[in-house]
Amino acid sequence: MSNQIKQALSDLEEEMTLKLVQERVDAGDDPLEIIADCREGMADIGKRYETQEYFVSDLIMAGEVFKQAMAIIGEKFQTDGGPKRGTVVIGTVQGDIHDIGKDIVVNLLQAGNYNVIDLGVDVAPEKFVASAKENDAAVVGLSGLLTVAFDAMKETTEALRSTNPKIKVMIGGGSMNEQVLKHVGADALGADAQAAVELCNQWIAGE
Amino acid sequence: MDNQALYQERYDRIKKTINLEPVDRVPLIFMGTAFSARHVGITMAEYCKKPNASFISNYQTMVDYGFDGVNLAGGGRITPILTSLWLSRLGVPGRDLPEDSLWQVMESEVMTHEDYDYILANGWKKFVNKYMPRVISMWEFIPAMMWYVSNQPRIRKAHIKGGYVIINDSDARMPTIPFEYLCGGRSMTQFFFDLYRMPDKIQEVMDVILEDILADIRKLKPAKDRINGTWVGGWRSASSLVSPKLWDRFVWPYFVQIVDALIEKGITPVLHLDQDWSRDIERLRELPAKKCILNPDGMTDMVKFKKLVGDQMAMMGDIPASMLVAGTPEDIDKYVKELIEIFEGQGLLLCPGCDAPINTKPENMQAFVDAGHKYGVM
Repeated sequence: MSNQIKQALSDLEEEMTLKLVQERVDAGDDPLEIIADCREGMADIGKRYETQEYFVSDLIMAGEVFKQAMAIIGEKFQTDGGPKRGTVVIGTVQGDIHDIGKDIVVNLLQAGNYNVIDLGVDVAPEKFVASAKENDAAVVGLSGLLTVAFDAMKETTEALRSTNPKIKVMIGGGSMNEQVLKHVGADALGADAQAAVELCNQWIAGE
Repeated sequence: MDNQALYQERYDRIKKTINLEPVDRVPLIFMGTAFSARHVGITMAEYCKKPNASFISNYQTMVDYGFDGVNLAGGGRITPILTSLWLSRLGVPGRDLPEDSLWQVMESEVMTHEDYDYILANGWKKFVNKYMPRVISMWEFIPAMMWYVSNQPRIRKAHIKGGYVIINDSDARMPTIPFEYLCGGRSMTQFFFDLYRMPDKIQEVMDVILEDILADIRKLKPAKDRINGTWVGGWRSASSLVSPKLWDRFVWPYFVQIVDALIEKGITPVLHLDQDWSRDIERLRELPAKKCILNPDGMTDMVKFKKLVGDQMAMMGDIPASMLVAGTPEDIDKYVKELIEIFEGQGLLLCPGCDAPINTKPENMQAFVDAGHKYGVM
């Protein structure tokens, strides 16, 4: 049945995925194993996105199905999904209130077993710095859609580096590209949500 | 050359470009709403509050930099206009946001599932009238839209008198596909869920909306001697965002029907397509040749467009917003040169992609115009 969950989630079969998850919860299966199967499904979705079989709409839907699956498991079991791979602080930078891209990244990182601290939108540099320090984050993700986000990203990156030179900073969002990355001075660009997850996998999990 | 002759020269050049005929010089078209406020030194709050301020600032900026015309002329309060397109609340500088910050769409789930039933039972127009007070005060919306409509002839005349061409100069209300209205009202995330969970119902709702849009278009009586352009927007319906299965069902068929209806009325649809549409760019071949303008924002692959569609559609764009802000004059010069080379100087209207942003570097805007003159003379 484990492959069934992976397959149903990967095919974005919402009802079937949730039915299968409910059945395994009711059967008393190990919640960590159910979660692992869901994560395999999400990993498969990531691969289908990379090969351009899936697009952003599919990632959004996949994140929703995954969240619901976790809620079903959480109703019966007290589990946080086991040890995390690491902590990522993420938010939309000051002056920008767009959150759709950020939310997709948050969903994918959570599905990838990262501890994600989501600071929301219009986040001041000092709030990123304080949260990264408090949560001992290895990676900070700066999101933004508008061009007014460029300077806010730059300022935030500089503030993060001044307190922790080793911290990794990634940027992402609608108008971000290599030119903006150079302007901001961050470590890398997550050209899309899946690329952001790959960056975390490289930096934190060494994959 | 007097302004009347100058206008005629520019108008003819733009018409030839749309018809994919050779021109003596690639036309230079302005688009930079918020940037124009910065250029003339008014705050965003002033720009958004005073309807005539956006006309004056856009016009003055176009003149100062030496453009041939403008994509969309200024005039009218931009936030109510955007609300009517997005069906979302907007954060307004000086009221909801700091005095000199950019307006922002405050996207949230305002439209509900019950609203779909209401649209099916009562039609789109009746729904919109009922819906708008949820996203904007009618005391703000109605006067703003009345000003916008009643001042269009004056604004048009002022441009012609000065020798400047407006591309989007038709009397058509800017129509967009039902997908975008619903996506704005429901919020993108919720609307995408709806597309997966209740596709048949969404299609029924879209068909009702489309009928109302087409009925409005059929009533139009376009004037002669104009470009007769009208902005037909797509942003959340981009190929990079929507899976092919959904796009083929909920996006493209609606574009085709709206575009065909506009063309039947002698109007030139300006396909203002934000985000990346490269995956499906070849589908533009399904639209009537030499009757539309593609107006992308710098994210769609122009080499692919030129190769697959360049023999039947002109392109207006597409200097990326990010380059205007974070790039250098040398970057802009190189981009314009390459763009002109791709298009071989034909079927190309040089213009900022989407809209030059508020924090565009003035030296980059100047470099854009200079490069247009340097490489665009055929």
